[in-house]
Amino acid sequence: MKLIDRMTRIDRRIIYFILALVVILPLVFPTVLKVKPMAPVEALYEAVDKIPADKALILDCSYAPQIKPEVEPMAVAVLRHAFARRKKVLVLVLYVQMLGLAQKALTQVTGEFNVKAETYEDSIIYGRDYVFLGWTPPPLIPMLGMGESITAVYPADYYGNQTDTLELMQQIRNYNNVGILVCLSGSAIPKSWVAYAQNRFGVAVGVGCTAVSGADFYPYYQTGQFTGLMVGMKGAAEYEELVEENLKVAEKRMASEAMLSLTYAHVIIMIFIIIGNIGFFFQRRRK
Amino acid sequence: MHKRIALVLVFVFGILGIIPFLIPHPIVQNFDEFIRNDILRILAAFALALALGSLLRVHVDKIRRKRVNWQYSWILILSFAISSIIGLFGGVAGTGLLKTAIGSFHFDIQTLYENIIIPLASSMFALLAFFMASASYRAFRARSYEATLLLVSAFIVMIGFLPIASSISSRLPAFAQWVLNVPNVAGQRGILFGIALGAVATSLKIILGIERAWLGGGK
Amino acid sequence: MNISTDPWVWIAAILSLAIFSFLYKENPFYRIAEHIFLGVANGYLVTFYWHNILVPVLFRPLFAGRLILILSFTIGILYFTRFIPRISWLVRIPIGIYIGYYTGAYIPAVIQASIIKQIQGTTLTGANFASWHAGSWGILWSVIVLIGVLCTLSYFYFSREHKGVLGVTAKIGIVFVMIGFGAAFGYTVMARVSLLIGKFQFLLGDWLGIIH
Repeated sequence: MKLIDRMTRIDRRIIYFILALVVILPLVFPTVLKVKPMAPVEALYEAVDKIPADKALILDCSYAPQIKPEVEPMAVAVLRHAFARRKKVLVLVLYVQMLGLAQKALTQVTGEFNVKAETYEDSIIYGRDYVFLGWTPPPLIPMLGMGESITAVYPADYYGNQTDTLELMQQIRNYNNVGILVCLSGSAIPKSWVAYAQNRFGVAVGVGCTAVSGADFYPYYQTGQFTGLMVGMKGAAEYEELVEENLKVAEKRMASEAMLSLTYAHVIIMIFIIIGNIGFFFQRRRK
Repeated sequence: MHKRIALVLVFVFGILGIIPFLIPHPIVQNFDEFIRNDILRILAAFALALALGSLLRVHVDKIRRKRVNWQYSWILILSFAISSIIGLFGGVAGTGLLKTAIGSFHFDIQTLYENIIIPLASSMFALLAFFMASASYRAFRARSYEATLLLVSAFIVMIGFLPIASSISSRLPAFAQWVLNVPNVAGQRGILFGIALGAVATSLKIILGIERAWLGGGK
Repeated sequence: MNISTDPWVWIAAILSLAIFSFLYKENPFYRIAEHIFLGVANGYLVTFYWHNILVPVLFRPLFAGRLILILSFTIGILYFTRFIPRISWLVRIPIGIYIGYYTGAYIPAVIQASIIKQIQGTTLTGANFASWHAGSWGILWSVIVLIGVLCTLSYFYFSREHKGVLGVTAKIGIVFVMIGFGAAFGYTVMARVSLLIGKFQFLLGDWLGIIH
């Protein structure tokens, strides 16, 4: 078979093997690549950073296990940011299969802070510094209901505590007491937050999304409906960079460690596409 | 007659869904809250029963009639039964009636979630990377001017957002960001208008009873 | 190398590899893993629907005296009539209520967020020029967005043949659409590869202990 024909007929298992290799090798021999934060991520960082002391951050961790590698680093980075700056945090999810992941991210980050805390004031205390509201279906209920009363939508939190007895919930009643709502999602949920919560109650919405949805969300970022935007693992790495650079929070950076693998994988996929197209052009010319 | 009841209900509740956006009066808002919290929320929970019932019915039927791969249906039903029992009787945090630990080995619902659901779901989606690489190699051809444009735009975004982009050119990341902020926004916004207008039209047709596909077959 | 001794990590790793075996070809291990996933995922749903919704939102308040919830309970029970052929038409009642309210709430929300606000973002105003933070270049970017949106809309107008002025604008529109799709494809590559990286981070890190 001529070389030109071979270029268009590489066995798929060879492609799978090469892709796996370029992903695995940088993980085994790691190098953390420095990423430069872009404007949409910086805007989100600034918005979270500027939450007033009497207002809270609502973090919607509506990412499914399928997209965990992309979005979980965002959740961890935002939580580290919020806790390092002593912002009040309310965490919720909109679909039941995301509960376990939100719980996991909270356990990880609160553990990181509490291991280093020397006093009770330094610690991240449930009920005082953060509340895990949990889940209530359908998504429309919390989106519209929290405009009136958060405790009416979530009478009990994830752990079964009465929310109106928690210290944090005495101060945070509804969206008027919320600085920004950051939605981490793999679907069109951020658009729903804008359509229902922002339209009626004026709450600011920031977004962390999978790269698949990223291109679709830029029109909303351009109009200011999204205060800031993190897209994919690269967006997560940029936020991690900002948190470490500005707040000196030096913990494991899941997204940043993957940047070299991401780079090589991109390059190899582009090479495959170019090889395929070169072969295609020469075959077309021959015909 | 049966369909007419459903059509009247969809019209009435459609109007009840629109009104709270237009009338901020407390009576309207409180009634809206009642519908959301005390009716819709409970209906959403019961809707799960419908979905589960259908799933189990399909697999029980498969086992009874010994259809192709019927043996796997046993696995589904057994794993569903075991996880439901662990969850319902073991509780959300493993503090229910059923003990969900034998020594240091825990098997509460959160452990099942972290060690069965997360790995399986993430593995299924991780496969997509291989398929995408293979499909891109085979099918992504610059056959026409439009396809070439798509290819070039994809390459700009792919290279521009890598950490090494600034090593290639200091302007490349900014250029990639500009492609996303300006021409991408223009194209996506045009499509967005079409989708939004179509969705609003379909919603109106459903409320007014013109669109009846959701009713299903039968009388 | 520091292989994990946690049995659950081994279970997770074996199930992950069973799914990956599909890359070679479909096989019983893949099928078993797939069916386990469906079973356990649905068991998880049942757990939380019961503990987080039905008990605290329906049964507890109902037995505490909130009798209006009998109405919700009755309507919810109608879902089960789907399995009784003679009265299966009753399932349309809860479905009709749900769909009716949702589509009603959807209309004003989408008109405001996806149409009016997006039109505002496309117009040539001082606020839009300034939103680019690019000085006087912001005027040019706003003009490009306006032209792009109008041309894209003209491309999707199929009630007239794309000839003359409409033909020209449609050709310009397709340029913007293709750039948008190209950007989406570029991002999709990043998304899919990220998921693969996450999987390898688990297998090589948590399971085999090769990466730290």
